[in-house]
Amino acid sequence: MTLTAMTKLLLVASFFSFTSAQTHTFNWTTGWGTYNVDGVKGREVITCNGEYPWPDVRVSKGDRVEIYLNNGFTDANTTLHVHGLFLKGQNQFDGPPFLTQCPIAPGDTMLYNFTVEDNIGTYWYHSHTAGQYQDGFKGKFIIEDTENFPYEYDEEVTLEIGEWYHKTSGELMPAFMNLFNPTGAEPIPQNLIINNTMNLTWNVEPDTTYLVRLVNTGGFVSQYFWIEDHNMTVVEVDGVFTERNTTDMLYLTIAQRYSFLLTTKSDTSKNFAIMQKFDDTMLDIIPSDLQLNATSYLTYNSDADKPSENFVDSIDDYLDDFYLVPYNKTELYDEADYRITLDLQMDNLIDGINYAFFNNITYTTPKVPTLMTVLSAGEEATNAAIYGTNTNSFVLEKDQIVDIVLNNLDTGKHPFHLHGHTFQTIWRDRPYDADAGEDPHPFDDDDVDSFPQYPMMRDTIYVNPQSNFVIRFKADNPGVWFFHCHIEWHTIQGLAIVLIEDPESIQAESSQALTQNSIDVCNNVGVLYQGNAAGNIADYTDLTGQNIQQKSIPSGFTAKGVVAMTFSCLAGILGLLTIAVYGLMEMPDVEQKVIKELDIPLTELISNK
Amino acid sequence: MGKNKVFNVAVFFVVFRECLEAVIIVSVLLSFLKQAIGSKDKKLYKKLVFQVWTGVVTGFIICLAIGGGFIGAYYRYQNDIFGNAEDLWEGIFCMVATIMITMMGIPMLRMNKMQSKWRVKIAKSLVEKPERKRDYFRLGFLARRYAMFILPFITVLREGLEAVVFVAGAGITTQGSVATAYPLPVFVGLIAGGIVGFLLYYGASRSSLQVFLVISTGILYLISAGLFSRGAWYFENYRFNKATGGDASESGDGNGSYNIKKAVYHINCCNPELDNGWDIFNALLGWQNTGYLSSILCYNFYWLALIIALSLMIYEERNNHLPFFKNLQMKHLNPGYWLKNKKANEMTREQELELLNRVDDLEFDDDGIIVEKQVVSGSNKEDSFYDDGMGKSSHAESKDQSDIKVNTDTLD
Repeated sequence: MTLTAMTKLLLVASFFSFTSAQTHTFNWTTGWGTYNVDGVKGREVITCNGEYPWPDVRVSKGDRVEIYLNNGFTDANTTLHVHGLFLKGQNQFDGPPFLTQCPIAPGDTMLYNFTVEDNIGTYWYHSHTAGQYQDGFKGKFIIEDTENFPYEYDEEVTLEIGEWYHKTSGELMPAFMNLFNPTGAEPIPQNLIINNTMNLTWNVEPDTTYLVRLVNTGGFVSQYFWIEDHNMTVVEVDGVFTERNTTDMLYLTIAQRYSFLLTTKSDTSKNFAIMQKFDDTMLDIIPSDLQLNATSYLTYNSDADKPSENFVDSIDDYLDDFYLVPYNKTELYDEADYRITLDLQMDNLIDGINYAFFNNITYTTPKVPTLMTVLSAGEEATNAAIYGTNTNSFVLEKDQIVDIVLNNLDTGKHPFHLHGHTFQTIWRDRPYDADAGEDPHPFDDDDVDSFPQYPMMRDTIYVNPQSNFVIRFKADNPGVWFFHCHIEWHTIQGLAIVLIEDPESIQAESSQALTQNSIDVCNNVGVLYQGNAAGNIADYTDLTGQNIQQKSIPSGFTAKGVVAMTFSCLAGILGLLTIAVYGLMEMPDVEQKVIKELDIPLTELISNK
Repeated sequence: MGKNKVFNVAVFFVVFRECLEAVIIVSVLLSFLKQAIGSKDKKLYKKLVFQVWTGVVTGFIICLAIGGGFIGAYYRYQNDIFGNAEDLWEGIFCMVATIMITMMGIPMLRMNKMQSKWRVKIAKSLVEKPERKRDYFRLGFLARRYAMFILPFITVLREGLEAVVFVAGAGITTQGSVATAYPLPVFVGLIAGGIVGFLLYYGASRSSLQVFLVISTGILYLISAGLFSRGAWYFENYRFNKATGGDASESGDGNGSYNIKKAVYHINCCNPELDNGWDIFNALLGWQNTGYLSSILCYNFYWLALIIALSLMIYEERNNHLPFFKNLQMKHLNPGYWLKNKKANEMTREQELELLNRVDDLEFDDDGIIVEKQVVSGSNKEDSFYDDGMGKSSHAESKDQSDIKVNTDTLD
């Protein structure tokens, strides 16, 4: 099988050779413009060089990419992250502000300069600064390696799906992180979009096999995706080729990618619906005017009628990615050397705002980007404490096998993304529902007989409500990597941990050293690039002044409450005593008083006498 | 949402209180009859007692029917009426109920006052003379003939309808109240009220009765203070829910279910709307697992105001005027007093004394009733007065007229 595929591939792509690594240079300036994405309402969007949407990037394996990102905003910092890249030895270009770099100040420029050595497949890029990618700062990033593509196809198409808000993040975020949004209810999107539009028409040829790269670049909602009367054969997830797996329906969380083969029919008389559907279980409320389905058109014949909305009997039979098998059959890694157990919770802190927590810590940015702490800390770099008590930082040793056990105590689904790696998904439990009498289910080793031999590998995976998963990866990519819920709202709420992977190798490798540009970016925005999480250079264990989260809400009575209760009780007792005194008092001249009170016209009575 | 589907405490107390009042009316009437005829004419006595009870029961049944219908209709259309503003309405109802309970609670402590009030009222209605003479031969005749039916009937009906309003008001302010929470407290309240009335009538020790009344009034005011506090709480909740888009009420009793900026305390349990048992504390004491500044202040100020008002009443009862102002009494503080121009109607000291003597007679000679003391030919008048009641047909017309004369003489 592999062999036949390989021979066919050699026929398809024999022109390109390994050695022709190119350099792709992009010069991007952010800004604001108006664009009507969903055809319903124009709104402010983030533009690239004044245009919208942002360009797609298509490079080949081994190529160098140079992106000059100019911050054209007047009042906001920015950053850029290419989702899924390993960036070996190039950690400072990963993008998260205060993690691997300083935020880029307005008017400043940062050069993201890296090679794409180890990634092939479907990726995407977006701002890693809060809210910006939901305002349109995002695009596809395809890394080709046509010689080594294991399956045969005729044409390639990319479909970028997502959800769309009519309000900007600038409007939504303050209302979201707000005393008056105590449940942390995420804003409800207005529409599902596809390729930055709605009701897309995709003209197809008959009897053709398409490689469809499907990317969910949304910031919040998972989507069901299906094409009326057509099968999809999945061959890649998140940059990992898989064995063929044919399905009728896909389920994509945000940030996930599926490449599938779609072979068109011979008959061109009829057109078919391409369906997107909200996973409405993720929505706190479903407004009556929200369309949960969006229809696009797989068009064989533009003269024929457009297909109408396609309904299915069940949305439960989507492809469960857990059972996908990597094409290269990477075996289950050895037993973990290190297990990180994370309990996910959403709760309010004393400011009344709803935050997201791993082990009761909501990720709070340090004063110095963590990578820069690693690079400046010397021998202290292996001490997790210097990275702050509020960053959920874990230090990993070189080539350790690491398990992340995630227990979701929340009732929602969450798509988790690990930067710099693909991981093996070795366990994912079913959803649990406490309201139906089930206990939220933390992971228990006894639940599992054995992990899959060839676990599915990808970089973004969801956890079921009140359930758990276990992922396993090898700490073979020195760097500082985020592991976070990709839902932008939840990232804002602090649902993230930091993995500091082999800090000694980071320090040792020359390519990891901060470029002058990286340092300039820090200077221009006024952020320290040396020191511990608190910006302390003299004593790395002294965290005085570090950023910390708001205080927890006391669970019982505080002094204030005790005082209030005491006074209330006292008032009640005194009141009751007064009632008792009055009630037990003899009342003189009862009749006289009664007559007065009754207002009987006694004068009349008297005069009548 | 509420767990209290069986027993609505506020309803119990309101029914109890109103029942007590009805019992007093009946007891006053019965003692009136007893003293008036007693053993003299057993047949007549029995007949009139029967009339009294028939009047009471009929009035009572009509009230129940009206009350049931009213409450049923309320719960049927409740959602339509209130919609999203339910917390706002609950707050308003709480406040209204507080005022009502506050007004009706204190008089309960003055059972003797209440009794004499009814004695005077009843006496008045017995001696009232119609405007025109011919009326005696029409309705008036029937009215007189069945006075012992009509009087309690009208009284119970009136008191009862008042109770219906109170019960409905108190009931719907109880969190998560449902229609099924009514029958039991109404029933128990009736029984309790009946028992107290019975004790009252058959002369249980006055002091133990008084203690009982003090205790139940105390509980009533605990409820009332709680209602007041809850009213404020509901307003706060309403504002918070409005600001959050009605989203907080779904989030149980944990963080985020309340406005932390305005909360003085909050505990993540013991939510009267969600946790079993705590709804009783809510109904009795106004307990909430979130104490807002406003609700706590309301609770304390309510008691403070009550303490001040009661202290003034105590002072006035002892000294016949309010402290510092010799000519000022509680009633003068009521704007209605001036609006109705009561001052103009106020009697001179002379008149007052004279009248009081008369009413004192009427009152303290209750045993012999009006007739006995003041009427020229006592026994005769007494008989003729009750001739109506007996309905002696042959003499009816003339007797009537003589009665009227007698009565007029007697009282006016």
